[in-house]
Amino acid sequence: MLLPAFLKSRQARDMDLFLHSLYLAEEPVVLAGYTSLIDLPQTIVMLRQLALNADDAGKPLFDRDSGVGTPLREPGEQEVLDALAAGDALICSESGDRWLRLVPVGRTLSRALESPTTENVLRGAISAFNEDLDTNVGLVKKHMSSDMLRIRSYTLGLSQRRKTVLLYAEGKIREPLLRSIVQKLETLPDRDISDLQALSAFFGFSKWSPITRFNTSELPQEAAFALEHGKAVLLLDRFPFALVLPSLLSDMFVSQNDRNFPVIIMFSFRILRILGVLVNVLLPGLYVALVSVNPEVLRIEIALSIAGSREGVPYPSLVETLLLLLVLELTLESAIRLPKTIGPTITMVGGIILGQAVVQAKLVSNVLIIILAASTIANFTVIGFQNATALRLYKYLLLVLSAMFGVLGLFIGIVVICAYFSYGNTFGIPYLSRWKAGRRYG
Amino acid sequence: MKNNVSRWLFLAFMLTGAAALSGCWDIKDINHRSLPIVMGVKETAGTYQVLLLIPDASPSQTNVKIISQTGSTINEILDQIDKNMENKVDLLHLKVILFERSVAEKGLSQSIESFMRSRDISNKTLTAISEGALEPLFEKLKSSSSNGGMEIYDFFEKNAGWSPEVVQTRIWEVFRSMNSFTRDVVIPTIKPGHTTTIESTGAAMIKNGKMVGVIDSEETLLYNLFKGAGTQGKIEVMHRATVKIVADRLTRSSVMREGSAMMIGRLHLKVTVLETVGDPTVAEIKKEIDEQLSTRLQAMLRTAQSKEADILGLGQLYRDKLSRENLRQWRSKYYPFMKIEFKVHVIVQDGGLLKIKS
Amino acid sequence: MDKSRQTIVMFWIVHVGLIFFLYPADIIGSLSVGHWSAVLLGFIIHVSLVALYTKGLSYCAPLNVIDLFQRVGRLFAFAMLLPLAVYFVLIIIITVRAYAEIVTVIFLGNTPLWTIMLLFLAVSVFICQLGVESIFRTGILIALLFFPFLILVLILSFQNADWHYLLPLMDRDAATFAYALRRPFLKSLFAFIGGFLFLGFIPSRVSYQSRKIVYASLGLLPFFLASVYIPLLTFGENTASKFPFPFIMAVDTVDVSWLMFDRVTMFFMISLLCFVILFLSLVMWMTLLLLKRGMPALKAPTAGLLLAAAIYIVCLLVPNWNAVERLMWWNTVPRLYAAFVIPLAVFALGLRHRRRETVRP
Repeated sequence: MLLPAFLKSRQARDMDLFLHSLYLAEEPVVLAGYTSLIDLPQTIVMLRQLALNADDAGKPLFDRDSGVGTPLREPGEQEVLDALAAGDALICSESGDRWLRLVPVGRTLSRALESPTTENVLRGAISAFNEDLDTNVGLVKKHMSSDMLRIRSYTLGLSQRRKTVLLYAEGKIREPLLRSIVQKLETLPDRDISDLQALSAFFGFSKWSPITRFNTSELPQEAAFALEHGKAVLLLDRFPFALVLPSLLSDMFVSQNDRNFPVIIMFSFRILRILGVLVNVLLPGLYVALVSVNPEVLRIEIALSIAGSREGVPYPSLVETLLLLLVLELTLESAIRLPKTIGPTITMVGGIILGQAVVQAKLVSNVLIIILAASTIANFTVIGFQNATALRLYKYLLLVLSAMFGVLGLFIGIVVICAYFSYGNTFGIPYLSRWKAGRRYG
Repeated sequence: MKNNVSRWLFLAFMLTGAAALSGCWDIKDINHRSLPIVMGVKETAGTYQVLLLIPDASPSQTNVKIISQTGSTINEILDQIDKNMENKVDLLHLKVILFERSVAEKGLSQSIESFMRSRDISNKTLTAISEGALEPLFEKLKSSSSNGGMEIYDFFEKNAGWSPEVVQTRIWEVFRSMNSFTRDVVIPTIKPGHTTTIESTGAAMIKNGKMVGVIDSEETLLYNLFKGAGTQGKIEVMHRATVKIVADRLTRSSVMREGSAMMIGRLHLKVTVLETVGDPTVAEIKKEIDEQLSTRLQAMLRTAQSKEADILGLGQLYRDKLSRENLRQWRSKYYPFMKIEFKVHVIVQDGGLLKIKS
Repeated sequence: MDKSRQTIVMFWIVHVGLIFFLYPADIIGSLSVGHWSAVLLGFIIHVSLVALYTKGLSYCAPLNVIDLFQRVGRLFAFAMLLPLAVYFVLIIIITVRAYAEIVTVIFLGNTPLWTIMLLFLAVSVFICQLGVESIFRTGILIALLFFPFLILVLILSFQNADWHYLLPLMDRDAATFAYALRRPFLKSLFAFIGGFLFLGFIPSRVSYQSRKIVYASLGLLPFFLASVYIPLLTFGENTASKFPFPFIMAVDTVDVSWLMFDRVTMFFMISLLCFVILFLSLVMWMTLLLLKRGMPALKAPTAGLLLAAAIYIVCLLVPNWNAVERLMWWNTVPRLYAAFVIPLAVFALGLRHRRRETVRP
């Protein structure tokens, strides 16, 4: 079947496929593309100009150096479809033997540059990545105007072709890291990379590990900072986050934005975040441990007031804590789904009505409410939502251990988590390593 | 591969943990435990009686209740109480142990040793001796309690209502003195007060776990000064002036002279004048403080020496001067004949907001 | 890559974990006056053994103990390492059992012993499966979290010290080292010896400088002294000798009114227990290394689980504290073997190895 005819038949299935006949440089041609991706009138104007230029220079339209587009040599059906799906336009001669692929005037299908939605910046560059890959690469380039920046592009996936860009700073990145990433990327997976789970499976990371192997960031400046410090950055098309490899424990506490403050304030921020993590992970467990297993550790005044506030609570402290934690987690999860206009309502319902009523109904002790509130607030002092969610999980391990072994269980839980952290690694770089550009400490 | 292994292990670990939890042992939440704050021990005709002051926690107010039980040993009594109570009696938070005077005079060794041996009773628990019967004291504690019977604990607690005329003696100190050649302790004596909850009456000298005599409140102050248990803020009443001690420091040196012990003590006090009677000079005030404290110390020491109770732990200073065999006989052979030369060196820091004659 | 820092931290963790529980009672039990002499004697033995051991290892740099012995001959290696493996298994058993007992005595009176032993073993098997590098990194993290706290409590515990109890400094017994062959003193050596053997087992990619290790071991002296002298200064020798865990009793007397917790000691003890767990996983890792050389058929996770299960069963069979003490006493012979024969052999072989290396080219 001749290709134009194939495209015609295809038109029945893809309603947005257009085949537009026109004359370019006095030659009848057919322009093909998707209206959903291509701005047709603008493209025609542009084409005419290009054809005119080619004609003036005496070059035939379908020639390689006519400047209109890249000629395709006897393309197959798949090749044509790929080109169209990628958003390019095709020009084909009336007879269908010569083809030209060209970059049309596209429709704007991306947001404009906006401020970040998941990471707030108080003092620093506010623009964030968006869905458009080229924009993102451009943003990083703007933030790191250095000739060391290298950009490699890959297209991953079989049915869904997903453009992926690997950025790194030549001379700063550790060679073995770069080698293993590139090696992986060059194997070009036969699976579609539709999400980060698929990507991490492709990279061979453990599927179940709560430790994120990619540190994600919405901020070009964070990405540039990571690049300058010898990390690698992956940008996926249609994914408004930069993926920073490797991810380290320090990413929870250290943000490039801190450096816009005086050093002492920077360190106070970091200490605060570390405290936040400890408070978040330890407090619920500590409460259970002290209330049900080791009350002798509490001062007598606190012991009495907790005992008083728990009077009439019908179940053990572990169940009590789990119940309230469940409500809290539900609130957190629903707050993400809620439209912004209803958000304050749920705060009121959750905070005031539930909190007050649950104590008065003697379902939980009010000390526990304070503790869990503190713990939940502390949860989000950590940088990066992916880290905050992981921390939410560890809390439960400690909770169960504390309920069984009291303070001993709590501390052993810490040891287990520490051991797990120290086991984690990304391409052989331990999660716990202290990162300095080009070097690695244990 | 290795990833799988660790995850598998982790799961196994969690499962065993959960299994262990299901075979739950004796974990009781804090509101199902009774946490006695005060324990009273008395003895009548060979049987012990134990009184417990237990705060009754409820969200709105805290009441106290008194539980008492008799039996032949303290542990047996506690078992009995535990059996009869709706909650588990937990001595983890016991703060004060009160002995009736008769018990103290018979000897505390047995009970102190069992308290030290016990897992739940903290060895920081304070001890006190009740001058009279225990019941009125407990009744007083109960009737005047506003925050769960903590009054008696606050009475002894340094950052609450403690004052320098009260000794703090913890059971480990009593236990130490029972096993020591060179050190005895005093235990504070209290009785129910007329207007206040508790009234301090001084302290009891304990030798080898037995009460052998008493010292009064003023001597107790001196004892605290000697122990270096910060007596700041103390008001010292004399004939011609009242002063407040701001800082104190004690230097001691010990010598053995011809087989008898001899000690020189210097107490350096910084005071500020609160009140004067008449118009004394600074030199007079200094002299008076010196005389008053020195005579008081000598008097106290003489009483203690006559009972062979080394409450000031003076024998400690001779640890390197006497052989171990001689130390063993310190209480009987050296201590009663020991001489102490005591001088108080006073600096009058200021006269408050009024001038005083220099 | 130089990982001296990790190695030093691990070295400290292992020893600090072992020092504070059983060691003070043994030292206080072995003589009545001049305890520092016993502490120092043990310490000097310790440092010289560590120096000898690390020196020997540095002579044959990339090789570990097993490789070194195997060079001489398979049979030789087997004969040398079998008692060592026995020793390792024994100390795991003793440590798990003894520390579980300590836990129930001090703060978990109601919790059955078997669950605590299960917890210890499960956690240490888990950690040891993660590999030695993970153990080391865990050590660093744990040390960062717990050490400040330990130091704070250690300083606080001088609160009730009566320095007169330091005196007298000496008597004949202490001066003549007459105590050196007494049972409690020999038992006390476990705190010095159990720990440092791991230096010879770590793979060459975790390298360290032997000199730094020897210096670091000197830093342990304050801990050894404090563990013995804090109870002595608080209670006096007469009283302190009455306690099975004098240090814990002494720390328990500390009264800190400005902390929100009443018994700070518990946190102190538990931090130490966490160190002990790391020690356990390290010893278990060494044992597995030995086992795998002896029986290559065993695969890593199964071997670990089997070992842990076997140890657990033995632990369950130990009825009481007396039996633990007896086990400890029986372990003295393998301990002395591990303490003296292994470092000396390593030193000798290392020396020989170096001579050959220098002669050959």
